[in-house]
Amino acid sequence: MSTADVWHYLLLGLWTTLRLSLASMGVALALGTLIGVLRVSPVPPLRWFAAGYVEFFRDIPLLPVLVFVYSGLPKAGIRLPTSFDSAVAGLGVYTAAFVAEVVRAGLQSVHRGQIEAALSLGMTFPQMVRLVLLPQAFRMMIPPLGTVFIALVKNTSIASAIAVEELLYQAEFVIGRTFADWPMLIAFLLYLVITVPLSGLVNFLERRLRILF
Amino acid sequence: MQASERPWQTLVGVGIVLALIPLAFRMEPARFAPFLEGSTWRFLALGLLLTLEASAIAILASIPLALFFALARLSGPLWLRYPVIALVEGIRALPLLGLMFYLFLRLSALGRQLGIEALTRPDAAVIAALWLYTGAVNGEALRAAILSLPRGQWEAARSLGLTYGQAMRLVILPQAFRRALPPLVAQFATLVKDTSLGAIIGFIELYRRGVILFQGERNPMETLYVVSVIYFIVNYTLGRLAGTLERQLGLHRG
Repeated sequence: MSTADVWHYLLLGLWTTLRLSLASMGVALALGTLIGVLRVSPVPPLRWFAAGYVEFFRDIPLLPVLVFVYSGLPKAGIRLPTSFDSAVAGLGVYTAAFVAEVVRAGLQSVHRGQIEAALSLGMTFPQMVRLVLLPQAFRMMIPPLGTVFIALVKNTSIASAIAVEELLYQAEFVIGRTFADWPMLIAFLLYLVITVPLSGLVNFLERRLRILF
Repeated sequence: MQASERPWQTLVGVGIVLALIPLAFRMEPARFAPFLEGSTWRFLALGLLLTLEASAIAILASIPLALFFALARLSGPLWLRYPVIALVEGIRALPLLGLMFYLFLRLSALGRQLGIEALTRPDAAVIAALWLYTGAVNGEALRAAILSLPRGQWEAARSLGLTYGQAMRLVILPQAFRRALPPLVAQFATLVKDTSLGAIIGFIELYRRGVILFQGERNPMETLYVVSVIYFIVNYTLGRLAGTLERQLGLHRG
């Protein structure tokens, strides 16, 4: 395997890592927003469920979740899932717990008067969340969501355990072929290329928001 | 809008989640049969013990490392400060599994070269990776704790004629460690979760033991369900402990 081949496999892996991160973040944002909203809903059992969801997934490792979903999706009625699909589902469900916490904190940061005004206008809870709270809370949520996304990018490496051909999987494959360990250092560099600018961006946004509020 | 749920309400919620999962994935009660036997639980308990052991070693060993990182970054000479910043930020920005895999390659090669068998085992790489990673995270927590102390503490210590080292050792660090204690307990819970990654390079801890069980019994979902509940119980307890500590030390999240 030539140096060019090594780069070829690693860049293929990087591309899969990026696709996996973005797709999982999509699932996590949709599910996490729903759970974060339930977390502050006026219906107690829904609130408890959402709190339980967040607490449960924050307290368990990702690896059993990924393998559970991988072996369980066919039984849940989804036929022929690829390992990539399973990883998106597993990462999405797991990361949703962290997104939900950010959404809850964002919703609760909106001034009480806004809630009173919305309710006195006769809005229902879903209307108030959709039209009043989320639009205002969104700005506050961007930096912490960035932090969640960075953790997610790093977590996609665990999908190598269910044979998703992302960056770490490809690095291990290449090392198995070449018996050299420098490809892992290149893989590290590629991870840093994603995570370091992102965390710089998060820090920048955090500082800006602190000034604005 | 309510601020947060009470513990029993959260636990009821966890119960709802735990009841919904078997329904959604059509899990069969019969496949839980291995968990009626004591030997299954003994096998898993030994794994949990290894998980806790590796986490405890990593976190205790990480404290001196964290102290070094924090002090080097706060007040080290420039030639030390910038490499340490790069190292700490680099470690935190990399996936832990990659770090573990790389250290496993390097340590096992080193162990073979020097004839040290212990270094060639996955345990060594798992603990080394967790140690480095936790050292970097705790170093940042400690640095934040030191910076969060009122300036007056420093000024008072220095104006009493204490040297930099004395002020750090006698005044600043005891207070900073107090503030860093609850995050340290929370970090232990993170380690308990992260130790499961060691399974991928062959460390036979709790999760890996679950895998061994389900490969024999062919009940992956049921076994992983039980293993996850064990992780939950351990980490939920640790989380409550961190919260209690925080209250008792009179600290509040800012």
